[in-house]
Amino acid sequence: MGLKDKYAIVGVGYTPQGRVPGRTALSFYVEACANAIKDAGLGRQDIDGLICYRHFQPASGEREVTPYVVAQQLGLAPKYLSQEANCARSQLHHALGVLEAGLCNYVVVAYADNALSSDRIPDETNPENSVFGQFGYPASYAMAARRAMHTFHTGPETWKMIAVGQRQWASLNPLAMMRDRPLTFENYYSSKWVVEPFRVSDCCLVSDGGRAYIVTSVERARDLSHQPAVIIGIGQHNPSSYIDQSTYMAGPTGAKIAGEMALKMAGINLEDIDACEIYDCFTYTVEVTLQDYGFFGLGEGQDWFKYGTITPGGRLPVNTSGGLLSEAYFMGLTPLTEAAMQLMGRCGDRQLGAKTNTKEPEIILCSDNGATLQTHSCTILRRF
Amino acid sequence: MAYEKPLPQPNADTRPFWDGCKEHQLRFQKCRDCGHVRWPPSIICPRCYSSEVEWMVASGEGKVYTFVVYHYAYHKAFENDLPYITAIVELEEGPHILTNIVGCSSDEVRCDMPVKVAWEDVTEEFSLPKFKPAQND
Ligand SMILES: [Zn+2]
Repeated sequence: MGLKDKYAIVGVGYTPQGRVPGRTALSFYVEACANAIKDAGLGRQDIDGLICYRHFQPASGEREVTPYVVAQQLGLAPKYLSQEANCARSQLHHALGVLEAGLCNYVVVAYADNALSSDRIPDETNPENSVFGQFGYPASYAMAARRAMHTFHTGPETWKMIAVGQRQWASLNPLAMMRDRPLTFENYYSSKWVVEPFRVSDCCLVSDGGRAYIVTSVERARDLSHQPAVIIGIGQHNPSSYIDQSTYMAGPTGAKIAGEMALKMAGINLEDIDACEIYDCFTYTVEVTLQDYGFFGLGEGQDWFKYGTITPGGRLPVNTSGGLLSEAYFMGLTPLTEAAMQLMGRCGDRQLGAKTNTKEPEIILCSDNGATLQTHSCTILRRF
Repeated sequence: MAYEKPLPQPNADTRPFWDGCKEHQLRFQKCRDCGHVRWPPSIICPRCYSSEVEWMVASGEGKVYTFVVYHYAYHKAFENDLPYITAIVELEEGPHILTNIVGCSSDEVRCDMPVKVAWEDVTEEFSLPKFKPAQND
Protein backbone atom coordinates (compact mmCIF):
# COMPACT_ATOMS: atom_id res chain seq x y z
CA MET A 1 0.00 0.00 0.00
CA GLY A 2 2.87 2.38 0.68
CA LEU A 3 1.78 5.98 1.02
CA LYS A 4 -1.60 5.60 -0.65
CA ASP A 5 -4.19 8.09 0.63
CA LYS A 6 -1.94 9.48 3.37
CA TYR A 7 -0.84 12.80 1.87
CA ALA A 8 -2.31 15.45 -0.40
CA ILE A 9 -1.64 18.62 -2.32
CA VAL A 10 -3.68 21.32 -0.61
CA GLY A 11 -2.66 24.59 -2.17
CA VAL A 12 -1.13 25.96 -5.37
CA GLY A 13 0.74 29.24 -5.81
CA TYR A 14 0.93 31.07 -9.13
CA THR A 15 2.77 34.25 -10.15
CA PRO A 16 2.58 36.44 -13.22
CA GLN A 17 4.05 34.24 -15.95
CA GLY A 18 5.27 34.37 -19.50
CA ARG A 19 7.46 37.33 -20.37
CA VAL A 20 7.68 39.32 -17.15
CA PRO A 21 10.74 41.56 -17.39
CA GLY A 22 12.29 43.45 -14.52
CA ARG A 23 11.95 40.68 -11.95
CA THR A 24 14.54 38.51 -10.21
CA ALA A 25 14.19 34.73 -10.00
CA LEU A 26 14.13 35.12 -6.21
CA SER A 27 11.09 37.40 -6.38
CA PHE A 28 9.15 34.72 -8.29
CA TYR A 29 10.14 32.05 -5.75
CA VAL A 30 8.97 34.17 -2.85
CA GLU A 31 5.71 35.17 -4.54
CA ALA A 32 4.87 31.60 -5.64
CA CYS A 33 5.53 30.20 -2.15
CA ALA A 34 3.57 32.92 -0.37
CA ASN A 35 0.63 32.45 -2.75
CA ALA A 36 0.65 28.68 -2.20
CA ILE A 37 0.70 29.14 1.59
CA LYS A 38 -2.20 31.60 1.42
CA ASP A 39 -4.07 29.47 -1.11
CA ALA A 40 -4.04 26.51 1.27
CA GLY A 41 -5.39 28.67 4.06
CA LEU A 42 -2.15 28.47 6.01
CA GLY A 43 0.18 31.03 7.53
CA ARG A 44 3.94 31.17 7.64
CA GLN A 45 3.95 29.83 11.20
CA ASP A 46 2.48 26.57 9.86
CA ILE A 47 5.20 25.92 7.29
CA ASP A 48 8.01 23.71 8.55
CA GLY A 49 9.43 22.35 5.31
CA LEU A 50 10.74 24.16 2.24
CA ILE A 51 11.99 22.46 -0.91
CA CYS A 52 13.33 24.52 -3.81
CA TYR A 53 14.82 23.64 -7.15
CA ARG A 54 18.59 23.29 -7.57
CA HIS A 55 18.88 26.59 -9.33
CA PHE A 56 20.53 27.36 -12.63
CA GLN A 57 23.36 29.86 -12.88
CA PRO A 58 21.91 33.14 -11.67
CA ALA A 59 21.38 35.95 -14.15
CA SER A 60 24.14 38.53 -14.15
CA GLY A 61 23.92 40.81 -11.16
CA GLU A 62 21.74 38.41 -9.20
CA ARG A 63 22.77 36.25 -6.28
CA GLU A 64 22.22 32.52 -6.37
CA VAL A 65 18.70 31.59 -5.31
CA THR A 66 19.37 29.24 -2.43
CA PRO A 67 16.58 27.78 -0.27
CA TYR A 68 18.15 29.77 2.57
CA VAL A 69 17.47 33.14 1.00
CA VAL A 70 13.96 32.06 -0.01
CA ALA A 71 13.27 31.00 3.59
CA GLN A 72 14.69 34.27 4.89
CA GLN A 73 12.44 36.31 2.65
CA LEU A 74 9.41 34.24 3.61
CA GLY A 75 10.20 34.61 7.32
CA LEU A 76 10.63 30.85 7.68
CA ALA A 77 13.03 28.79 9.80
CA PRO A 78 11.91 25.33 8.68
CA LYS A 79 12.71 21.97 10.24
CA TYR A 80 13.57 20.61 6.78
CA LEU A 81 15.00 22.49 3.84
CA SER A 82 16.41 21.19 0.56
CA GLN A 83 20.00 22.20 0.89
CA GLU A 84 21.50 21.12 -2.40
CA ALA A 85 20.50 19.47 -5.68
CA ASN A 86 16.80 18.83 -5.97
CA CYS A 87 14.41 18.69 -8.88
CA ALA A 88 10.66 18.41 -9.20
CA ARG A 89 10.91 14.64 -9.60
CA SER A 90 12.56 14.18 -6.24
CA GLN A 91 11.03 17.22 -4.52
CA LEU A 92 7.72 15.49 -3.91
CA HIS A 93 9.45 12.34 -2.72
CA HIS A 94 11.55 14.34 -0.27
CA ALA A 95 8.45 16.13 0.95
CA LEU A 96 6.61 12.85 1.50
CA GLY A 97 9.68 11.46 3.24
CA VAL A 98 9.92 14.24 5.79
CA LEU A 99 6.15 14.18 6.38
CA GLU A 100 6.17 10.41 6.84
CA ALA A 101 9.17 10.67 9.19
CA GLY A 102 7.26 13.16 11.29
CA LEU A 103 9.84 15.89 10.76
CA CYS A 104 7.34 18.27 9.17
CA ASN A 105 3.60 18.89 8.92
CA TYR A 106 3.32 21.26 5.96
CA VAL A 107 5.90 21.37 3.18
CA VAL A 108 6.07 23.96 0.43
CA VAL A 109 7.68 22.90 -2.87
CA ALA A 110 8.69 25.52 -5.41
CA TYR A 111 10.33 26.26 -8.73
CA ALA A 112 10.77 29.71 -10.27
CA ASP A 113 13.01 31.48 -12.73
CA ASN A 114 13.38 34.59 -14.86
CA ALA A 115 14.73 32.48 -17.71
CA LEU A 116 13.00 34.35 -20.53
CA SER A 117 13.94 37.92 -19.66
CA SER A 118 17.36 37.55 -18.03
CA ASP A 119 20.75 37.27 -19.68
CA ARG A 120 22.71 34.25 -18.71
CA ILE A 121 25.31 31.93 -20.05
CA PRO A 122 23.95 28.41 -20.50
CA ASP A 123 25.37 26.26 -17.71
CA GLU A 124 24.92 22.98 -19.52
CA THR A 125 27.91 23.36 -21.81
CA ASN A 126 29.79 20.15 -22.16
CA PRO A 127 33.22 20.52 -23.74
CA GLU A 128 33.14 17.05 -25.23
CA ASN A 129 29.87 17.85 -27.06
CA SER A 130 30.49 21.44 -28.10
CA VAL A 131 33.63 20.34 -29.95
CA PHE A 132 31.28 18.70 -32.46
CA GLY A 133 28.72 21.50 -32.42
CA GLN A 134 26.24 19.66 -30.19
CA PHE A 135 24.44 22.15 -27.95
CA GLY A 136 21.55 21.93 -25.52
CA TYR A 137 18.68 19.67 -24.57
CA PRO A 138 16.67 20.03 -27.81
CA ALA A 139 19.51 18.32 -29.67
CA SER A 140 19.79 15.55 -27.07
CA TYR A 141 16.07 14.80 -27.12
CA ALA A 142 16.06 15.12 -30.93
CA MET A 143 18.66 12.33 -30.96
CA ALA A 144 16.32 10.20 -28.86
CA ALA A 145 13.41 11.03 -31.16
CA ARG A 146 15.45 10.15 -34.27
CA ARG A 147 16.36 6.77 -32.83
CA ALA A 148 12.68 6.22 -32.07
CA MET A 149 11.81 7.07 -35.70
CA HIS A 150 14.19 4.30 -36.70
CA THR A 151 12.96 1.82 -34.08
CA PHE A 152 9.18 2.19 -34.35
CA HIS A 153 6.58 4.08 -36.33
CA THR A 154 6.81 7.71 -35.21
CA GLY A 155 7.79 11.18 -36.35
CA PRO A 156 6.21 14.56 -37.06
CA GLU A 157 2.94 12.90 -38.15
CA THR A 158 2.51 11.77 -34.54
CA TRP A 159 4.11 14.76 -32.80
CA LYS A 160 1.96 17.33 -34.58
CA MET A 161 -1.14 15.86 -32.90
CA ILE A 162 0.46 16.40 -29.47
CA ALA A 163 1.51 19.98 -30.25
CA VAL A 164 -1.88 20.90 -31.69
CA GLY A 165 -3.88 19.10 -28.99
CA GLN A 166 -2.08 20.86 -26.17
CA ARG A 167 -2.42 24.22 -27.91
CA GLN A 168 -6.20 23.68 -27.92
CA TRP A 169 -6.10 23.30 -24.15
CA ALA A 170 -3.94 26.44 -23.88
CA SER A 171 -6.60 28.42 -25.73
CA LEU A 172 -8.88 27.78 -22.70
CA ASN A 173 -6.28 28.89 -20.13
CA PRO A 174 -6.00 32.64 -19.48
CA LEU A 175 -2.51 32.14 -17.98
CA ALA A 176 -1.12 30.20 -20.96
CA MET A 177 1.67 31.94 -22.86
CA MET A 178 0.32 30.57 -26.17
CA ARG A 179 -3.35 31.20 -25.41
CA ASP A 180 -3.85 33.51 -28.39
CA ARG A 181 -1.60 31.62 -30.79
CA PRO A 182 -3.71 28.88 -32.39
CA LEU A 183 -1.74 26.06 -33.97
CA THR A 184 -2.85 24.03 -36.99
CA PHE A 185 -1.16 21.03 -38.55
CA GLU A 186 -0.04 23.35 -41.38
CA ASN A 187 1.50 25.82 -38.89
CA TYR A 188 3.24 22.91 -37.23
CA TYR A 189 5.00 21.92 -40.44
CA SER A 190 5.94 25.50 -41.26
CA SER A 191 7.51 26.17 -37.84
CA LYS A 192 11.31 26.40 -38.05
CA TRP A 193 13.77 23.65 -37.28
CA VAL A 194 15.33 23.96 -33.84
CA VAL A 195 17.42 20.93 -34.66
CA GLU A 196 16.01 18.38 -37.08
CA PRO A 197 13.81 16.36 -36.42
CA PHE A 198 12.45 18.94 -33.92
CA ARG A 199 10.66 22.08 -34.96
CA VAL A 200 9.86 25.07 -32.73
CA SER A 201 6.39 23.56 -32.17
CA ASP A 202 7.97 20.39 -30.73
CA CYS A 203 9.84 22.28 -28.00
CA CYS A 204 8.77 23.59 -24.61
CA LEU A 205 8.54 27.27 -23.78
CA VAL A 206 11.02 29.34 -21.80
CA SER A 207 9.21 31.28 -19.09
CA ASP A 208 9.51 33.88 -16.40
CA GLY A 209 7.50 33.15 -13.29
CA GLY A 210 7.11 30.50 -10.63
CA ARG A 211 4.90 27.80 -9.23
CA ALA A 212 4.60 26.28 -5.77
CA TYR A 213 2.42 23.80 -3.95
CA ILE A 214 1.81 22.64 -0.39
CA VAL A 215 1.83 19.00 0.74
CA THR A 216 0.41 17.82 4.02
CA SER A 217 -1.38 14.82 5.49
CA VAL A 218 -4.94 14.03 4.40
CA GLU A 219 -5.91 14.41 8.08
CA ARG A 220 -4.61 17.98 8.24
CA ALA A 221 -6.03 18.70 4.78
CA ARG A 222 -9.57 18.40 6.10
CA ASP A 223 -9.29 21.75 7.86
CA LEU A 224 -7.94 23.71 4.90
CA SER A 225 -9.39 25.85 2.13
CA HIS A 226 -9.77 23.41 -0.76
CA GLN A 227 -10.76 19.84 -1.48
CA PRO A 228 -7.32 18.21 -1.35
CA ALA A 229 -5.78 16.34 -4.29
CA VAL A 230 -4.87 13.06 -2.65
CA ILE A 231 -1.65 11.26 -3.58
CA ILE A 232 -2.41 7.59 -4.20
CA GLY A 233 0.68 6.37 -6.02
CA ILE A 234 4.27 7.37 -6.66
CA GLY A 235 7.12 5.75 -8.51
CA GLN A 236 10.56 6.79 -9.67
CA HIS A 237 13.10 5.17 -11.94
CA ASN A 238 16.46 6.54 -13.01
CA PRO A 239 18.10 4.78 -15.97
CA SER A 240 20.77 7.50 -15.60
CA SER A 241 22.95 7.03 -18.69
CA TYR A 242 23.70 10.21 -20.63
CA ILE A 243 22.30 10.38 -24.14
CA ASP A 244 25.71 9.65 -25.69
CA GLN A 245 25.66 6.19 -24.11
CA SER A 246 21.92 5.65 -23.79
CA THR A 247 20.36 2.54 -25.30
CA TYR A 248 16.82 3.29 -24.08
CA MET A 249 16.17 6.53 -25.97
CA ALA A 250 13.38 4.81 -27.93
CA GLY A 251 12.12 3.21 -24.70
CA PRO A 252 11.50 1.70 -22.37
CA THR A 253 12.46 4.85 -20.50
CA GLY A 254 12.18 5.22 -16.73
CA ALA A 255 8.44 5.70 -17.28
CA LYS A 256 7.88 1.96 -17.52
CA ILE A 257 9.06 1.00 -14.04
CA ALA A 258 8.03 4.29 -12.39
CA GLY A 259 4.53 3.90 -13.85
CA GLU A 260 4.21 0.28 -12.73
CA MET A 261 5.29 1.26 -9.21
CA ALA A 262 2.77 4.11 -8.99
CA LEU A 263 -0.14 2.06 -10.38
CA LYS A 264 0.66 -0.78 -8.00
CA MET A 265 0.75 1.52 -4.97
CA ALA A 266 -2.54 3.07 -6.08
CA GLY A 267 -4.07 -0.35 -6.70
CA ILE A 268 -5.51 0.76 -10.04
CA ASN A 269 -5.14 0.05 -13.76
CA LEU A 270 -4.59 2.41 -16.68
CA GLU A 271 -8.33 2.21 -17.46
CA ASP A 272 -8.98 4.02 -14.18
CA ILE A 273 -7.04 7.11 -15.31
CA ASP A 274 -9.30 9.99 -16.39
CA ALA A 275 -6.60 12.39 -17.62
CA CYS A 276 -2.83 12.74 -17.75
CA GLU A 277 -0.50 15.65 -17.05
CA ILE A 278 2.70 14.56 -18.77
CA TYR A 279 6.06 16.31 -18.53
CA ASP A 280 6.33 17.59 -22.09
CA CYS A 281 9.75 19.14 -22.60
CA PHE A 282 9.29 17.96 -26.20
CA THR A 283 6.39 16.43 -28.10
CA TYR A 284 8.27 13.12 -28.39
CA THR A 285 8.58 12.98 -24.59
CA VAL A 286 4.79 12.86 -24.32
CA GLU A 287 4.58 10.05 -26.86
CA VAL A 288 7.29 7.85 -25.38
CA THR A 289 6.02 8.42 -21.83
CA LEU A 290 2.42 7.41 -22.63
CA GLN A 291 3.75 4.48 -24.66
CA ASP A 292 5.99 3.28 -21.82
CA TYR A 293 3.12 3.59 -19.33
CA GLY A 294 1.23 1.22 -21.64
CA PHE A 295 -1.53 3.44 -23.04
CA PHE A 296 -0.66 2.12 -26.51
CA GLY A 297 1.76 -0.33 -28.07
CA LEU A 298 5.09 0.39 -29.69
CA GLY A 299 4.56 2.77 -32.61
CA GLU A 300 0.78 2.80 -32.22
CA GLY A 301 0.78 6.42 -31.08
CA GLN A 302 0.06 7.73 -34.54
CA ASP A 303 -3.35 6.02 -34.47
CA TRP A 304 -3.95 6.52 -30.75
CA PHE A 305 -3.60 10.33 -30.90
CA LYS A 306 -5.93 10.59 -33.91
CA TYR A 307 -9.41 12.09 -33.68
CA GLY A 308 -8.60 14.35 -30.74
CA THR A 309 -7.92 11.70 -28.09
CA ILE A 310 -6.03 14.16 -25.88
CA THR A 311 -7.83 17.41 -26.76
CA PRO A 312 -10.85 19.11 -25.18
CA GLY A 313 -13.70 16.66 -25.75
CA GLY A 314 -11.25 13.76 -26.05
CA ARG A 315 -11.39 10.45 -24.24
CA LEU A 316 -8.04 10.87 -22.44
CA PRO A 317 -7.24 14.57 -21.98
CA VAL A 318 -3.49 15.26 -21.77
CA ASN A 319 -1.82 18.44 -20.53
CA THR A 320 -4.97 20.39 -19.88
CA SER A 321 -3.23 23.68 -19.06
CA GLY A 322 -1.37 23.64 -22.38
CA GLY A 323 1.62 22.09 -20.61
CA LEU A 324 5.23 23.07 -20.97
CA LEU A 325 4.70 23.33 -24.73
CA SER A 326 1.91 25.90 -24.58
CA GLU A 327 1.26 27.11 -21.01
CA ALA A 328 4.58 27.84 -19.28
CA TYR A 329 7.75 26.05 -18.20
CA PHE A 330 7.96 25.38 -14.49
CA MET A 331 9.65 21.99 -14.55
CA GLY A 332 7.49 19.13 -13.28
CA LEU A 333 5.41 21.62 -11.32
CA THR A 334 3.47 22.62 -14.43
CA PRO A 335 1.93 19.14 -14.80
CA LEU A 336 1.63 18.34 -11.09
CA THR A 337 -0.07 21.58 -10.06
CA GLU A 338 -2.45 21.37 -13.02
CA ALA A 339 -3.54 17.90 -11.90
CA ALA A 340 -4.15 19.20 -8.38
CA MET A 341 -6.13 22.20 -9.65
CA GLN A 342 -8.25 19.97 -11.92
CA LEU A 343 -9.08 17.61 -9.05
CA MET A 344 -9.95 20.60 -6.85
CA GLY A 345 -12.30 21.74 -9.64
CA ARG A 346 -10.64 25.14 -9.97
CA CYS A 347 -9.74 25.25 -13.68
CA GLY A 348 -12.36 27.59 -15.14
CA ASP A 349 -12.94 27.20 -18.89
CA ARG A 350 -10.52 24.29 -19.13
CA GLN A 351 -12.07 22.36 -16.24
CA LEU A 352 -12.39 18.67 -16.98
CA GLY A 353 -15.96 17.41 -16.89
CA ALA A 354 -19.09 18.81 -18.52
CA LYS A 355 -17.46 22.14 -19.32
CA THR A 356 -14.96 20.55 -21.73
CA ASN A 357 -17.06 17.54 -22.71
CA THR A 358 -14.70 15.20 -20.91
CA LYS A 359 -14.95 12.73 -18.03
CA GLU A 360 -15.37 14.13 -14.52
CA PRO A 361 -11.84 13.64 -13.21
CA GLU A 362 -11.50 11.21 -10.34
CA ILE A 363 -7.92 10.11 -10.99
CA ILE A 364 -5.15 11.96 -12.83
CA LEU A 365 -1.70 10.59 -13.63
CA CYS A 366 1.28 12.99 -13.74
CA SER A 367 4.78 12.45 -15.03
CA ASP A 368 8.08 14.21 -14.77
CA ASN A 369 11.37 13.35 -16.41
CA GLY A 370 14.77 14.89 -16.39
CA ALA A 371 18.14 15.24 -18.06
CA THR A 372 17.69 13.36 -21.37
CA LEU A 373 15.19 10.70 -20.28
CA GLN A 374 17.67 9.76 -17.54
CA THR A 375 15.23 10.09 -14.69
CA HIS A 376 11.48 9.69 -14.40
CA SER A 377 8.82 9.99 -11.76
CA CYS A 378 5.14 9.17 -11.87
CA THR A 379 2.56 10.54 -9.44
CA ILE A 380 -1.10 9.55 -9.32
CA LEU A 381 -3.63 11.83 -7.63
CA ARG A 382 -7.31 11.35 -6.88
CA ARG A 383 -10.16 13.61 -5.98
CA PHE A 384 -10.89 13.72 -2.24
CA MET B 1 42.84 31.18 -40.23
CA ALA B 2 42.61 30.42 -36.53
CA TYR B 3 40.38 27.55 -35.45
CA GLU B 4 37.38 29.16 -33.73
CA LYS B 5 35.26 26.20 -32.66
CA PRO B 6 35.42 24.87 -29.10
CA LEU B 7 38.33 22.55 -28.40
CA PRO B 8 38.46 19.49 -26.15
CA GLN B 9 39.40 20.17 -22.53
CA PRO B 10 41.15 16.98 -21.53
CA ASN B 11 41.12 16.09 -17.85
CA ALA B 12 42.88 13.38 -15.90
CA ASP B 13 40.30 10.81 -17.08
CA THR B 14 40.06 11.79 -20.75
CA ARG B 15 43.63 12.83 -21.58
CA PRO B 16 44.70 9.37 -22.80
CA PHE B 17 41.78 9.40 -25.27
CA TRP B 18 42.72 12.81 -26.72
CA ASP B 19 46.40 11.88 -26.76
CA GLY B 20 45.38 8.86 -28.83
CA CYS B 21 43.38 11.02 -31.21
CA LYS B 22 46.50 13.10 -31.84
CA GLU B 23 48.04 9.85 -33.19
CA HIS B 24 44.83 8.99 -35.08
CA GLN B 25 43.98 6.20 -32.68
CA LEU B 26 40.66 5.70 -30.88
CA ARG B 27 41.82 4.52 -27.47
CA PHE B 28 39.42 3.10 -24.92
CA GLN B 29 39.75 1.52 -21.52
CA LYS B 30 39.25 -2.25 -21.51
CA CYS B 31 38.57 -4.15 -18.30
CA ARG B 32 41.28 -6.79 -17.74
CA ASP B 33 38.88 -8.93 -15.75
CA CYS B 34 35.65 -9.03 -17.77
CA GLY B 35 36.78 -7.56 -21.10
CA HIS B 36 34.19 -4.75 -21.14
CA VAL B 37 35.30 -1.79 -23.27
CA ARG B 38 34.10 1.40 -21.62
CA TRP B 39 33.43 5.03 -22.48
CA PRO B 40 33.57 7.51 -20.89
CA PRO B 41 36.70 6.63 -18.91
CA SER B 42 36.21 5.59 -15.31
CA ILE B 43 38.29 4.53 -12.32
CA ILE B 44 36.52 1.15 -12.26
CA CYS B 45 34.61 -1.12 -14.63
CA PRO B 46 30.85 -0.36 -14.36
CA ARG B 47 30.08 -4.05 -14.91
CA CYS B 48 32.42 -5.86 -12.46
CA TYR B 49 34.00 -3.00 -10.44
CA SER B 50 37.50 -4.18 -11.32
CA SER B 51 40.11 -1.45 -11.45
CA GLU B 52 42.44 -3.57 -13.60
CA VAL B 53 42.47 -1.82 -16.93
CA GLU B 54 44.35 -1.54 -20.21
CA TRP B 55 43.95 0.88 -23.09
CA MET B 56 42.98 -0.75 -26.40
CA VAL B 57 42.76 0.79 -29.87
CA ALA B 58 39.38 0.54 -31.58
CA SER B 59 39.08 -0.29 -35.28
CA GLY B 60 37.34 2.99 -36.07
CA GLU B 61 34.43 1.13 -37.64
CA GLY B 62 30.87 1.29 -36.47
CA LYS B 63 27.39 2.42 -37.36
CA VAL B 64 25.23 5.48 -36.80
CA TYR B 65 23.11 4.88 -33.70
CA THR B 66 21.28 8.18 -34.03
CA PHE B 67 21.82 11.65 -35.48
CA VAL B 68 20.39 15.16 -35.75
CA VAL B 69 20.75 17.88 -38.34
CA TYR B 70 21.52 21.49 -37.42
CA HIS B 71 19.94 24.06 -39.75
CA TYR B 72 20.78 26.88 -37.34
CA ALA B 73 24.13 27.47 -35.67
CA TYR B 74 24.00 27.91 -31.88
CA HIS B 75 27.71 28.86 -31.98
CA LYS B 76 28.97 31.30 -34.59
CA ALA B 77 31.93 29.14 -35.60
CA PHE B 78 29.58 26.46 -36.96
CA GLU B 79 27.68 28.81 -39.31
CA ASN B 80 29.72 27.89 -42.38
CA ASP B 81 29.06 24.19 -41.81
CA LEU B 82 25.26 24.45 -42.03
CA PRO B 83 23.50 22.15 -42.41
CA TYR B 84 25.73 19.89 -40.32
CA ILE B 85 25.16 16.51 -38.70
CA THR B 86 25.94 15.45 -35.15
CA ALA B 87 25.60 11.78 -34.39
CA ILE B 88 26.17 9.05 -31.88
CA VAL B 89 28.22 6.28 -33.43
CA GLU B 90 28.12 2.77 -32.03
CA LEU B 91 31.64 1.40 -32.46
CA GLU B 92 32.24 -2.24 -33.33
CA GLU B 93 33.94 -2.70 -29.97
CA GLY B 94 30.86 -1.45 -28.11
CA PRO B 95 31.32 2.16 -26.97
CA HIS B 96 28.98 4.88 -28.22
CA ILE B 97 30.63 8.24 -28.98
CA LEU B 98 29.32 11.63 -29.98
CA THR B 99 30.75 12.89 -33.27
CA ASN B 100 29.99 14.48 -36.64
CA ILE B 101 29.09 12.63 -39.83
CA VAL B 102 31.05 14.07 -42.75
CA GLY B 103 31.33 13.15 -46.41
CA CYS B 104 27.62 12.74 -46.96
CA SER B 105 24.64 15.06 -47.09
CA SER B 106 22.04 15.31 -44.35
CA ASP B 107 19.56 13.59 -46.69
CA GLU B 108 21.78 10.54 -47.00
CA VAL B 109 22.56 9.76 -43.38
CA ARG B 110 20.52 6.96 -41.75
CA CYS B 111 20.44 5.17 -38.42
CA ASP B 112 22.48 1.94 -38.56
CA MET B 113 24.42 3.22 -41.59
CA PRO B 114 27.98 1.74 -41.52
CA VAL B 115 30.62 4.41 -40.91
CA LYS B 116 34.36 4.64 -40.34
CA VAL B 117 36.52 7.20 -38.63
CA ALA B 118 37.71 10.23 -40.62
CA TRP B 119 40.34 12.18 -38.69
CA GLU B 120 40.29 15.95 -38.73
CA ASP B 121 43.48 17.65 -37.54
CA VAL B 122 42.07 20.89 -36.21
CA THR B 123 45.05 22.37 -34.31
CA GLU B 124 48.66 21.44 -33.49
CA GLU B 125 47.38 19.81 -30.34
CA PHE B 126 44.06 18.21 -31.32
CA SER B 127 42.64 15.80 -33.88
CA LEU B 128 38.91 15.07 -33.84
CA PRO B 129 37.43 11.68 -34.66
CA LYS B 130 34.65 12.35 -37.16
CA PHE B 131 32.94 9.62 -39.18
CA LYS B 132 32.10 9.13 -42.85
CA PRO B 133 30.04 6.53 -44.70
CA ALA B 134 32.02 3.28 -44.85
CA GLN B 135 31.46 2.81 -48.60
CA ASN B 136 33.05 6.18 -49.44
CA ASP B 137 36.49 4.69 -50.12
ZN1 LIG C 1 34.86 -5.52 -15.83
